[in-house]
Amino acid sequence: MEGRECSLVKQKRDVQQGTLALMVLKTLQVLGPLHGYGIARRIAQISNELLSVNQGTLYPVLLRLEQERAIASEWGPSENNRRARFYRLTRAGEKLLEAEKRDWEQTEAIIARFFEVKAEDLA
Amino acid sequence: MRILNRLFARMWNFCFGSRGNERLREEMEGHVVMQAEENVRAGMTPIEARRQAVLKLGGVEAIREQYHEEEGLPLLEHLLSDCRYALRQLRKSPGFTITAVLTLALGIGATSAIYTLVQQVMLQSLPVNRPDQLWRMGDQPHCCNWAGYSQDSDDKSGDWSLFPWEAYRLFRANTLGFQDLAALQAGNQSLAVRRAGSSGLPETANGEFVSGNFFQTLGVSAWRGRLLVDADDREGPPPVAVMSFHAWQEKYGSDPSVVGSTYRINDHEFTIIGVAPPGFVGATMVDWGMPDIWLPLATEQLLLGGTVRIKNPRVDWLDLIGRVRTETNPKALEVQLQSELHGWLASHLADMTPQEKAVWQRQTLRLTPGGAGFSRLRKDYGESLMLLMVTALCVLLVACANIANLLLARGLKRRQQTAVRVALGASRLRLVRNALIESVTLSLIGGAAGVAVAWAGARLILYLAFHTLERSTWIPVQASPSVLVLLFALVVSVLTGVLFGVAPAWMSSRAEPSEALRGANREVGGSRHWAQRALVIAQAAVSLVLLSAAAMLGGSLRNLENQNFGFDADGRYLVRINSPMLSNHKQDQLIPFYREMQDRLRAIPGVRGVSSATYAPMSGDQWGHDIRVQGTPEPGPKDDVSADWTRITPGFFDTIGARMLAGRAINEDDNGNTRHVAVINEAFAKKFFGNKSPIGQHFGPTPVRNAGTYEIVGVVQNIHYVRWGFKDPARPMYYIPDAQTVHFDQLDLQSDELLSQNLFNIVLWAPGHPANILMQVKKVLAEVDPNLMIYDIQPYSRVIQGTFDQQNMIASLTWLFGAVGLVLAAIGLYGVTTYCVEQRTSEIGVRMALGADRGSVVAMVLRGAFWQVGIGLGIGIPAAIGAGHLMASQLFGVLPWNPLLLATATMLFGLAALVAAVIPARRAASIDPMRALRSE
Repeated sequence: MEGRECSLVKQKRDVQQGTLALMVLKTLQVLGPLHGYGIARRIAQISNELLSVNQGTLYPVLLRLEQERAIASEWGPSENNRRARFYRLTRAGEKLLEAEKRDWEQTEAIIARFFEVKAEDLA
Repeated sequence: MRILNRLFARMWNFCFGSRGNERLREEMEGHVVMQAEENVRAGMTPIEARRQAVLKLGGVEAIREQYHEEEGLPLLEHLLSDCRYALRQLRKSPGFTITAVLTLALGIGATSAIYTLVQQVMLQSLPVNRPDQLWRMGDQPHCCNWAGYSQDSDDKSGDWSLFPWEAYRLFRANTLGFQDLAALQAGNQSLAVRRAGSSGLPETANGEFVSGNFFQTLGVSAWRGRLLVDADDREGPPPVAVMSFHAWQEKYGSDPSVVGSTYRINDHEFTIIGVAPPGFVGATMVDWGMPDIWLPLATEQLLLGGTVRIKNPRVDWLDLIGRVRTETNPKALEVQLQSELHGWLASHLADMTPQEKAVWQRQTLRLTPGGAGFSRLRKDYGESLMLLMVTALCVLLVACANIANLLLARGLKRRQQTAVRVALGASRLRLVRNALIESVTLSLIGGAAGVAVAWAGARLILYLAFHTLERSTWIPVQASPSVLVLLFALVVSVLTGVLFGVAPAWMSSRAEPSEALRGANREVGGSRHWAQRALVIAQAAVSLVLLSAAAMLGGSLRNLENQNFGFDADGRYLVRINSPMLSNHKQDQLIPFYREMQDRLRAIPGVRGVSSATYAPMSGDQWGHDIRVQGTPEPGPKDDVSADWTRITPGFFDTIGARMLAGRAINEDDNGNTRHVAVINEAFAKKFFGNKSPIGQHFGPTPVRNAGTYEIVGVVQNIHYVRWGFKDPARPMYYIPDAQTVHFDQLDLQSDELLSQNLFNIVLWAPGHPANILMQVKKVLAEVDPNLMIYDIQPYSRVIQGTFDQQNMIASLTWLFGAVGLVLAAIGLYGVTTYCVEQRTSEIGVRMALGADRGSVVAMVLRGAFWQVGIGLGIGIPAAIGAGHLMASQLFGVLPWNPLLLATATMLFGLAALVAAVIPARRAASIDPMRALRSE
């Protein structure tokens, strides 16, 4: 039976995807060309393993970024000489990262200010 | 940019089916291996390491699905898969599918067929450059000549639509708001065309005089050669003409040597300088003779000689159409043109009759959008087409209701399946989408079949309306569907699909999973099927309206055809010929020519009478004059003093079977040497002489100094002469002998006098259908003059019938539609009844087990069916009466609420209902109670 989509799940995934994409771009900027496993590990490390489950969801995000031409990929040998797909940031990706970063910081600043505001401040 | 890139990549993947499955698999495999290696390094056993790695990666299927959705166009893919599913479902029940597709093909086909014609007759613009810039002067669809300085007609006072050449020259020279102003003849000019030097028979062709800038104004460029320019429209240069693409293709086999060749047109040499582009059929849409050849206005004098109109300011015979400048305000332009018209009229005050002098200041004109040209088809057929469109839409609605019913039944049958799907987690949205896609798929298939029906249907309508196969003239309307029609069919298909799919889709969305578990096939008659019942009721009502309308139209047509026309069509034939002057006879040879022709025809065995006329009854022509009766006061400007007239040879009334009421008919003694006489009809006598005896009185065409022209020698019964106005009182008419010529001082009267000596119609009385009469007539005519052109020879009954072709078409099609509606409604009723009986099998079993007999079961089912039909009729009968009132303008001698017709339609419907209900009722009654209870 086809009954896979439930609107609630989809929304949650979308939020994650956006954040995940930003993490992927930043990782690639810092570490240079990297395969999927490397990216996943790096994200897990940085987030103190908080985002370690369901590493596979990374691949649809990578595909999407590649379709957007933010990253490019090619086959290459991994550290232990296996064939792996290596992703690198493109010039468009750099720009996208900059833009997303600015957006993120702005959002963060706004949210932070909201949390800081106390009732007496507005009085 | 990002979104575009992505869309492009997705579309690429979707179209070329490129799939990253292999790549994803390899990447994920690498991922797991690398993670496992790391886990081993951390101290796990290899098996545990791999297990943990796979767990960490997450659900492979879910990822693959997500990946796949990113890759292609999921929405479209789901749609396609739904369509495939729908097609599979439809294939599984071929009986249902074929019924539904046929029903839809009929409904959509009928609607599209009529739309094909509506689009061409009502909506289409001329195939010219920027038709929106074209404006025509005048708003009346008049044809073909109008005489005098006032254009007062019955309903509009002084609304100018036709113009004389002199006024056209003035408008063209003085109106700067027009970039160009063209004139074209409002009627047509029959031509005899033969290639110079050839000795074969001349071809008949339709000519149209146009101004030199006609093509330039419309923005049409030549297909071959060149088109007319102003320099061609002058006296002096060798005459030239342009051929229509249609004529060039049909009559001259697309021969390229036509262009540049010299042709003898009515015995004058013309050079064909070019061919107009395909699709351009002129600026006038008529069903009698589209132009084959366009001639410059200036050549009118050459061709018409004594009957020329171009120099006569009293003859209005030109339609004017102009291209306005972009900066021109049409309102201001209209005001300017009105004042120009007044200026021109004022310059002719001296020539006006007293009546014209009284009203000339009230004369006006309107500027109307001219992008569609001068469509007389629109005026003649618009109303009927709209009526048919409404009828076809009704049939489509009935078809929709029927299919909705079938789908509902199907949906209920599949309720268990649906419930299981819901239980397994299918979203309601998805179920509704599935159901809607199924119905739209169905309607699209139906629509595709409907296009074929539309093509055949449009051909049928054209045949019924114009008898296209018997006619020599062609109609500028095509049956083959255009892109617009295909689009229309597509839109209608999708709309109907949604329309009839909504109810079943809604039902399926309400499926309760628990029902599936309860095994809910037990059902009693109740309010559950209200939707289906309502649809049957609606169908019954709509088809009743259609049937009643058809019955009324049929009755009206019968009344029209069987009325007393004042002559006897039985055993009479009508021969239409062209003027012998086209084949070298001179004006003064006409009288002996017709005498000889008639004598020879009369010698054919079986022929009892032969007589000719300028035009015979119901031949489609009508000539009129305002008249003055000697010794009566000048009529006021509002008084209608018009009378129709025609020229006849002796014996005309005997030949056509009309009775003389007083005095004598026209005979051989009325010739050039005796006083000018006329026979008038009863309506003429009543209108102008009241109770006085008209014999011996004198009258003549306006002005009053002609009042002594004719002496009345006889009164004949009213003959219905024109092809319209069957509800109107008889028109006054007078008949004058062909052998007498009056010399009038007035140019227009004189030109009519000469032209009317061409007797275009011969009436033949040959009772008892003599064998080969048509062939013999043709042979005799060819012997008299091999160059004489015969348009057609028809039995008079067919001529009369032809007058009602349009009514006949409407009545036939409404019958057809009504019958289709009835059949559909009967099928619907049958389907619903059968379905209900099936659903109530166990209930019926219980009833019979408890002692109900078969009779009462049959009665129960019949009651249910007739109850629905009863409500349907209860709504349908008032609706039919209402529709009858709306159709009143189309009817002749039939009351809109004729009870007999309604009763017949009701009975027909009751019969259909009976048949549709009895079969399932009998089946229900023959159910074995035990089996019924066990059926699950």
